[in-house]
Amino acid sequence: MFLQINHIQKKYKDKLVIQDVSFGLEAHQTLSILGKSGCGKSTLLKIIAGIEEQNKGDVFLNEKNISNINSNERNIVYLFQEPLLFPNLNVFENIAFGLRIRKLASADVEQKVEQMLESLELKDHDKKMPHQISGGQKQRVAFGRALIINPPLILLDEPFSSLDVETRATMQQLYKTIAKKFNITALFVTHDLKEALLMGDKISYMDKGLLEIFDSKKDFIEADKTGVKSEIEFWNNL
Amino acid sequence: MSTTFKKRNILLWLLAISFITPIITLFFLSFSKNWRFPAILPQQFTFENWSYLFFSGGNIAPSFLISLVIALSVALFATLLGFITSKYIAYHKYRKKLLMLTYFPFALSPVIFALCLKYYFIKMSLTGNVQGIILAQLIIAFPYSVIFFTGFWNQRIKQYEDLVSTLGGTTSYAFRKIVMPIAKSLILVCFFQCFLISWFEFGLTSIIGYGKVETLTIKVYQFITEANIFYAALSCCLLILPPVILLWFNKKFIIQQAK
Repeated sequence: MFLQINHIQKKYKDKLVIQDVSFGLEAHQTLSILGKSGCGKSTLLKIIAGIEEQNKGDVFLNEKNISNINSNERNIVYLFQEPLLFPNLNVFENIAFGLRIRKLASADVEQKVEQMLESLELKDHDKKMPHQISGGQKQRVAFGRALIINPPLILLDEPFSSLDVETRATMQQLYKTIAKKFNITALFVTHDLKEALLMGDKISYMDKGLLEIFDSKKDFIEADKTGVKSEIEFWNNL
Repeated sequence: MSTTFKKRNILLWLLAISFITPIITLFFLSFSKNWRFPAILPQQFTFENWSYLFFSGGNIAPSFLISLVIALSVALFATLLGFITSKYIAYHKYRKKLLMLTYFPFALSPVIFALCLKYYFIKMSLTGNVQGIILAQLIIAFPYSVIFFTGFWNQRIKQYEDLVSTLGGTTSYAFRKIVMPIAKSLILVCFFQCFLISWFEFGLTSIIGYGKVETLTIKVYQFITEANIFYAALSCCLLILPPVILLWFNKKFIIQQAK
């Protein structure tokens, strides 16, 4: 497995947020993690990214144990619910940020950022500051900033939750295209049933600190706890 | 022009006049001599006060310099230390208790606080010198700076730091490239506030300084107790000069930048 999580446990004071989570994910696949607010899904992503420390368990990436490696050395990008563009940098510099950290030559930075702006249809916005662009554009810049450093794993924590329905649908489509184009391996956290089904190659459900991965979308739909059946029933009875 | 607009303009003018009139009066007094009741205007306008105080033993220039050195040092140390300390307090598990401690120097009046500290300052040979006064004023300005910056270290800033980290940047890289530029305006405002705290400080300075360190504020009080209103006015003019320059700087650079 490209990503292997073994018996992760996390406590905040006396509250067990993650009980015992283990799973594996193949390269170039997206795993959707569906769950209600407070079920521990964001904490799980933060542990994998290295910005939270687990109480027990290990994280393996490409068969290497990264549990004790600092987040800045893991090369795993965490995308927050909000785009979190750096307010003091323009669109170009926001996308170039990871490359500047890696001290790439200016010409290379320029070329890579230009290409990324092109792929994200943001070519005309490169000089704009974050407050001058729309929510959807901000989220695209955040994607570009993550993708440009070519991370082996991307963690997306409800990245479209703050967008309106229309922009959200556009972004979901864009993500699918990008994921295919850049061969992305990702964990996609959401509390939206439809989004979980749309975005993931594999789907899982997290509840009370436990994660269950479904073998197929059919199994996911048929499981009572995921709420798909009651959703279908609701629309049929309307 | 609407009536409301006219009223607002009048109110603004009245406010401006009430701020500017005392300053003009101070300058007027500083160039005056022999102004006795019931004369409406002074008998003489002269540069004598200014030249005496600066060149003939008035010792205003050294006081001005000492005040400037003390205030700039206090503002610099308090702002830098406060900015860094507030981060550790904001993310600490005993955040509330630690913040409570920072309010302690303000629970007492500066004079009482200085008297409490005097024993330790004497033991460390920090009375009657500039270093001692800087340290004493830092005891007030540093907690102020910590309180000032605590609100800055919120969840969003933490997320920016985490994001930089997952993009491969170190804590110091995040600090230099993201946190500092975001906090720049706040840092300048805090520097300005700490400068003012130090610049106008009297109680702590007179007790810890033993009257040996004659800051501009101490000088003003001396002239007032000597009933020399002309010299007192002159020192006041000098006292308000740096804050006015800082205020202008604040308006020109920080507010315009924020816009």
